[in-house]
Amino acid sequence: MCKILVVDDEEAVRSAVRRRLERDGYSVVTAESQAEGIAAITAARPPFDIVVTDMVMESPTSGLEMLQAALSTDVFTEVIVLTAYGNVANAVECMKRGAFDYVEKNIPGVDVFELLSLKVEQALERRRMSLATLRRIDQYSKNRETQA
Amino acid sequence: MDGHFACNYSADSTPSMTDYTNTCGPDADPTLFARVSRTVVTGESIDDVLQSILEEAVRACLAARGFIAIVDHDRGELDVRYTAGDQWTEEKRLARLKVSEETGRGITSHVAATSRPYVAPDVAKDPYYVLFFDDVRSEIAVPLVDGFKRTRGVMNIESVELDAFHQRELCVLEGLANLATAAMTIFDHRAREAALVQIGKELSSLSGTGAILQKVIDVAAEALKFEDCSLFLLNEVTGKLVLRASRGPLNRQIGQAAYEPGEGLTGWTAKHGQAVRVVDPRSDPRWRGLFEELPASDVGAFMAVPIHSRRGVIGVVRVQRKKSAYKWFPNDFTEGDERILSTIAAQLGIALDNARLVDQLVKAERMAAWGEMSARSAHMIGNRVFAIKGDVNELEHLMRSGEIRPSDALELCESIKHGIFLLEEILNEFREFVKATHLEIEDVDVNELIREAVAESFPKRSRTNLRMRLTAGLPLIKADPKKLKRCFSELLENSINFQPEGGRISIATSFADERSRRWLRPGQRSGGYIKVRFSDTGPGIEIENKPKIFNPFYTSRAKGMGLGLSIVKGIVEAHKGIIFESGVPGKGARFTILLPYEEQHEKS
Repeated sequence: MCKILVVDDEEAVRSAVRRRLERDGYSVVTAESQAEGIAAITAARPPFDIVVTDMVMESPTSGLEMLQAALSTDVFTEVIVLTAYGNVANAVECMKRGAFDYVEKNIPGVDVFELLSLKVEQALERRRMSLATLRRIDQYSKNRETQA
Repeated sequence: MDGHFACNYSADSTPSMTDYTNTCGPDADPTLFARVSRTVVTGESIDDVLQSILEEAVRACLAARGFIAIVDHDRGELDVRYTAGDQWTEEKRLARLKVSEETGRGITSHVAATSRPYVAPDVAKDPYYVLFFDDVRSEIAVPLVDGFKRTRGVMNIESVELDAFHQRELCVLEGLANLATAAMTIFDHRAREAALVQIGKELSSLSGTGAILQKVIDVAAEALKFEDCSLFLLNEVTGKLVLRASRGPLNRQIGQAAYEPGEGLTGWTAKHGQAVRVVDPRSDPRWRGLFEELPASDVGAFMAVPIHSRRGVIGVVRVQRKKSAYKWFPNDFTEGDERILSTIAAQLGIALDNARLVDQLVKAERMAAWGEMSARSAHMIGNRVFAIKGDVNELEHLMRSGEIRPSDALELCESIKHGIFLLEEILNEFREFVKATHLEIEDVDVNELIREAVAESFPKRSRTNLRMRLTAGLPLIKADPKKLKRCFSELLENSINFQPEGGRISIATSFADERSRRWLRPGQRSGGYIKVRFSDTGPGIEIENKPKIFNPFYTSRAKGMGLGLSIVKGIVEAHKGIIFESGVPGKGARFTILLPYEEQHEKS
């Protein structure tokens, strides 16, 4: 079963996201701060498949730091950044550095939970493909070694 | 002593004048002038000095009595103010003499009108003499003429002997009269200096309200003898010069009377940034006579000076004098008057600039707070809405799946309601933050307000000790009682929340001491402040957090938006007070509020 970490400093946000993702059948762990989130990522065995993190918590760059922690543990962990509506500068920066996507929390008229559910599904798909590619490369390398 | 006090008097053709050949006699008291000049220098008041000069004059002339009458420039009358010698009655002391050059109107009046000394060797034959005392046989009167050639008064000396006054007496009296005039000038200057200092003080506490401007105008008018004085300030929007303070009948038109730029003498002053000083202003082509303190026909002299500021001319101070009924009393404004008025105008300009800067600073801070507030509240509202949307999403999902249990649906509804409640709470704080600066002012007893706040906010059965030391007899302040009580309650609740068991909270009121006044910003009014202090034995505030505690959204609690202390600060600042925190971290917090009170204005 897929493991997802949800990091946000607002309890109401954490529990709403957790409930929606659990409905999709994922195993969800929550953390209420950047520090707690990083500790969870470092401790996870196997690593989280997906990390959904708020952009702004203790600092405006909390999301970036979560991303770094996730990628340095498992480069194929997919990170989705939650941002305040209309505040995407930092989220775009996250994507340049390897985040899967960002989701604005308050897009008028959009059911953001369905959007998030979709993004998580797509992120998982990419992670699966990445891991498959990695396995193929591994396999290829092993084959070459045996041939040699 | 011969020739030392040279007489520049020359006998004129007045019929009763005897041609004196004597010069100042050798029998003059050699120490007289040294003594009198000393009195002029050291005298406590002008009354002491003039009284003493008069007595010396009577003695030196071996005369029976004498008096000094002072010119009242407004009425054109002479007011017998100082008397010496015998037979003075209350009635005679109260005499007021009309100034007149004509014969038969009295020697004093004649001297005042001509500004020349006059000797009557035999009053019975004198054309000007009027009977005042039965026993007078001869009389001498000298004018007190100041540096502007203005007659300030007349010194009159009488003898019961015929022909008692000659060149010697004339010389002595003219010398004494000059000293008397010098003394009057000195005391005038002292009064002006004191008035300027007082105006400076008033202005340093300029709070931007009309009250202080009016006070400055009052002090200027009273102490500097500008009978009618008005202040016009430029309205930046309309570009008109609007009356902001005045003395006299124009007072009723404050805020209404207005000149277009360049209109009338007042407008001309503002437009050209130059002072105007004219006699008989009605003959000046610039004169419009729109808003006057006096009936137009009464205005004798007009003077207006511009108020310069960093933004150019921002207003005009002007003074007017009544037309004198007597041509011997030049009633125009002097260069000295213009210098004084310009000094006041310069001080006003600086003070108004200053007040404006302080105002801008406060506004800028508030704007910055607003900016942060918008960003933060968007974030907080966003999160709440996000959570509500999550509940709705779940509710919808359950209903579509058809397997919804009423208890689950109700739980989601509760959660949605709670989310909406939190949104409303944010709105409420928002509203209070906005309203913090809109005050409904009344006279408020700070101690009473604290007692009410404690009764409402301090839990009856608390493990926290509350100690109150409220100083009795503090003056009432102009304040919004509801808002101020909210401040006190907020500080009290803050302290209660952070108290360990058995902690102590103290609330004290007093007059502000020098130590706490050091927190006042430059430009805040320098008058009296009341100090309200909340201290507790809680954890206090860490040094690094001290600069942030009054910022909106600073909070160490989960509840609300953290606007509490920023609202308190907003309310205190709207009352033109300050709030600061000076506790020792680890030992407790100590919040101090200084609130200004109106001082009963004492005239010195």
